[in-house]
Amino acid sequence: MTDGPGTGAGETEALRAALRAVAARIEAARRVTAPTGTAILRSVVDATVVLFDAEAASIALLDPTTGRLVFEVAAGAQGQGVVGVAIDPGEGVAGYVFSTGQPIALADVASDSRFGRATAERTGYLPRSLVAVPLADDAGVVGVLEVLDKRGGAFDLRDIELAGVFARQATVAIRSTRVERDAATLLRNVLADVGRGTRRDETEPMEDDIDRIVADATAELGDTDDVLWALADDVARLRAADPDQLELVRELLGVLIRRAERPRGGVGWRRR
Amino acid sequence: MAGPSNAPDAADGTTAPSGGGPWSTALPAWAEAFAASHRSDLARVAPFADIDRSWAFGDGTGAGVTVAVIDSGVEGGHPAVGGALRESVRIELSGEDTAVVRDEAVDAVGHGTACAGIIHGLAPAAELVSIRVLGADNRGKGLAFAAGLDWAIARGASVVNLSLSSRSEALYATFHDLADRAYFANCLLVCAANNVAVASYPSLFAAVVSVAAHDVRDPETWFYNPRPPVEFGAFGLDVDVAWRDGGRIVATGNSFAAPHIAGLAARIRAAHPAATPFEIKTILAATANRPG
Repeated sequence: MTDGPGTGAGETEALRAALRAVAARIEAARRVTAPTGTAILRSVVDATVVLFDAEAASIALLDPTTGRLVFEVAAGAQGQGVVGVAIDPGEGVAGYVFSTGQPIALADVASDSRFGRATAERTGYLPRSLVAVPLADDAGVVGVLEVLDKRGGAFDLRDIELAGVFARQATVAIRSTRVERDAATLLRNVLADVGRGTRRDETEPMEDDIDRIVADATAELGDTDDVLWALADDVARLRAADPDQLELVRELLGVLIRRAERPRGGVGWRRR
Repeated sequence: MAGPSNAPDAADGTTAPSGGGPWSTALPAWAEAFAASHRSDLARVAPFADIDRSWAFGDGTGAGVTVAVIDSGVEGGHPAVGGALRESVRIELSGEDTAVVRDEAVDAVGHGTACAGIIHGLAPAAELVSIRVLGADNRGKGLAFAAGLDWAIARGASVVNLSLSSRSEALYATFHDLADRAYFANCLLVCAANNVAVASYPSLFAAVVSVAAHDVRDPETWFYNPRPPVEFGAFGLDVDVAWRDGGRIVATGNSFAAPHIAGLAARIRAAHPAATPFEIKTILAATANRPG
């Protein structure tokens, strides 16, 4: 299709304007919320280590571009070496759990010296026991949560269930960041369609046009020097504040916002 | 949008499963029905006591029966497999096309060998066939799995052990068809139940035997649960299993419970070659351990 029904020049421009606004909002959301995905994953592995009294815990996620499982976060003194390690989805226990969606627990691992030797050499740690559960929801498996060496003894069926609770938290966090990424991809595709619709003789998407629209949208947001983005960064940092402080900041911001909305030339702000 | 209501708690790490009994978490724990505190709920209505295990199992060797293991491959030379592995294939993917090709008798993980060892331990004269469907290509795993199952049915396997399942909605009809075809071809599918709270196929279909782990450390203790979808509980806690490179490991999970039921089903099928999947399931229920 080279020309959609009713896509006159004016309508196309209006559509582009609307898309620019959407692009701006997605970028704004990304800048304010981007760090939270990893932060939640980190808090999940931290909580896992504490509640299991385990030596280490880690989360590996599928990298859709390489098709490999990459260990993103780890907790526990013994676990740090694994961060950044990438494995095939068909390799080892983490790969098996990812591929099958079946949680398993293993013990006496170290008694079999061949077990996971390659990974152990890369991470500097060979566990005695482990539990591995899939990060899964209705849309499929996105990664694996591993807990290594519970100090109180071997992992049992209940431990598999408990690890599943933590895995569920991590899955929700990952999905929310992916929804954001999907929105950006969707927008890009829509822009590509608009690009096709505006030049009747060409069927290829006009990458230059698309890049320009996205660049324009981002430019409208200003760079990080912009006072609004400095504010957004401040708001993002506030996520670490305690709830009482956060409430105070929110009230102060509310006051400032009401003041900003006050018509210019007024006689000072009044209580509502 | 479905999402757990407690999700935000993760940010500050305060989400702790509530205390109390060992199964107190509000989860779809298929294994929970088989926990000691719940077993009294497994009472049955039929006069199953008239069927005993000696009648059900005959000589208990599984002779003449072929059991297929759809998994990570089986290490044919592992002592636990005892030379029972007759054939190994793997599924190759090319786009949407699948091909079944001869494979070395190897196991990339150890899990398929663990399952084969459990089955061989319970039905030592049964012949094993390995269908390796787990590979590096993650995108095609549902298709590979379906192709492997299709091949197992056509190969004439009497029992198929499946410790994996698919969540692909696109393959729902394919797996439903395969489960029906297996049922009518006198091929019993034994599936590990998935503890994750999402639909997975074919483990939740009525035509299959779905298995979760119980915590009684005995391979010949199994329970029947009259409340589907997970109808059987078998040994799955701290199981001493075969693993890759001739090794052994202690493993826990529903995927180690399923091959116990597969091995027992092979015994029944050997003693009663005309038994249908429906009849094997009934005999398994009749000879299950008494609840409580």
